[in-house]
Amino acid sequence: MKRYLVLIAYEPGDWEHVDEDTRQEVFTAHRAFEAHVAEHGEKVAGAALGDADTATTLRGPERTVTDGPFVESVEQVGGYYDVRLPDLDTAIAAARLLPASYTVEIRPVVGVEGYDEA
Amino acid sequence: MAARKAPLLVVDADPEGGAGVMADPGDLVEDDVLRLVLMCCHPALGPEVASALALRLVVGVSTADIARLFLVPEPTMAARITRGKKKIAAAGIPFTVPAADDLPSRLRVVAQTAYLAFTAGYAPGSGPDLLRADLAGEAVRLVRVTLAVRPDEAVLRALLALVLLQHSRRDARVGADGSLVLLPDQDRSRWHRGEVDEAVRVLAGLGPSADLLTESYRLQALIAAEHALAPAAADTRWDRICAAYDALARVSPSPMVRLAAAVAVAERDDPAAGLAALDGLDAELPGSHRLPAVRGELLARLGDDRAAIAALDEAIRLCGNEVERAHLIERRDGLASD
Repeated sequence: MKRYLVLIAYEPGDWEHVDEDTRQEVFTAHRAFEAHVAEHGEKVAGAALGDADTATTLRGPERTVTDGPFVESVEQVGGYYDVRLPDLDTAIAAARLLPASYTVEIRPVVGVEGYDEA
Repeated sequence: MAARKAPLLVVDADPEGGAGVMADPGDLVEDDVLRLVLMCCHPALGPEVASALALRLVVGVSTADIARLFLVPEPTMAARITRGKKKIAAAGIPFTVPAADDLPSRLRVVAQTAYLAFTAGYAPGSGPDLLRADLAGEAVRLVRVTLAVRPDEAVLRALLALVLLQHSRRDARVGADGSLVLLPDQDRSRWHRGEVDEAVRVLAGLGPSADLLTESYRLQALIAAEHALAPAAADTRWDRICAAYDALARVSPSPMVRLAAAVAVAERDDPAAGLAALDGLDAELPGSHRLPAVRGELLARLGDDRAAIAALDEAIRLCGNEVERAHLIERRDGLASD
């Protein structure tokens, strides 16, 4: 099994403006994703995140605290799943089940030698 | 999945028949060939990384030769191949045949990857072009290897016909002095007849396809076949070529297709009709030397030498390739001295 972080990006503010039907479609898509993950592996964690305008960033040797995310862009990370799946194709198949309005990035989670013992 | 080391295949391609795939050490079954091709041509790899990996691991081409094909220094190519292998291991790209639903789209990526490698051999370079055209033959082998395990795949058959027809002209397109020889001026006896015949046989078994990529390859192959089958340039069936370009423009619209179609219209009708067909292309092909080169040629045929020279001057200014540039300069100087 490999472990992947599935990062979800969408345009901020989208969620407040969607109607009830669309909300239900999004929920259905996430349930399909979770079912696919459960069938082929397991979900370690997952959550939706507050909009990027609620983010706080620490940067530089002075640990300067600033308002906003790492990078300002049209699409912002709005949620994630941490999953264990057999391979990238399974992860891609799962990610295809998420709402088509998302941009989804799949990142392998790596162990850091000398730090992780498990 | 753990980083599984991909086997290195050695392929013995017979230009007249199917490719024979030999395994090293000798126990690879056909499914393994398909797995390996699909792993190297995974859409999660960049197209240039994928084509290099496929040539290296599937066809067994040396890193030095792949570097020459893609016009990059050998260490750059070695790093590119290493990066590809690392991504396969780190991202968990599997050594498997995907589900039946996904296979057609994955095989389209294989076709695109092979075609990218093939066209690299014909990309203008400063090195000796003939040598690189021979390396493009390695991409033809990649298509054959994949076809050997998926013989009914229309996208691969259409691509095989297309690359065979383009490749069959390799010896005739460069003159003894290294200059570019355009299609109408090529010595047709130097075209590889066996490759043309094979491509025509493959094309005969292919009907129109609903898949856009397959149909685009098929139509381009049909156009190339019209050239290949004309006994002399004057015998070319431009009416059929124009019809194929019209169909191609619907399947895969692009300014380069429109430019090629305009040339065909000029040949079928007259230079004025060709010039009219160039209208509106300037905005879509900014910075391309090919548009003013075609315009200059058509103006010259209409007898408007002054406008032709101006267009050729622009083409010469924009052209980055030595061989093509030399050809344009020769054409302009011929007009200027009249």
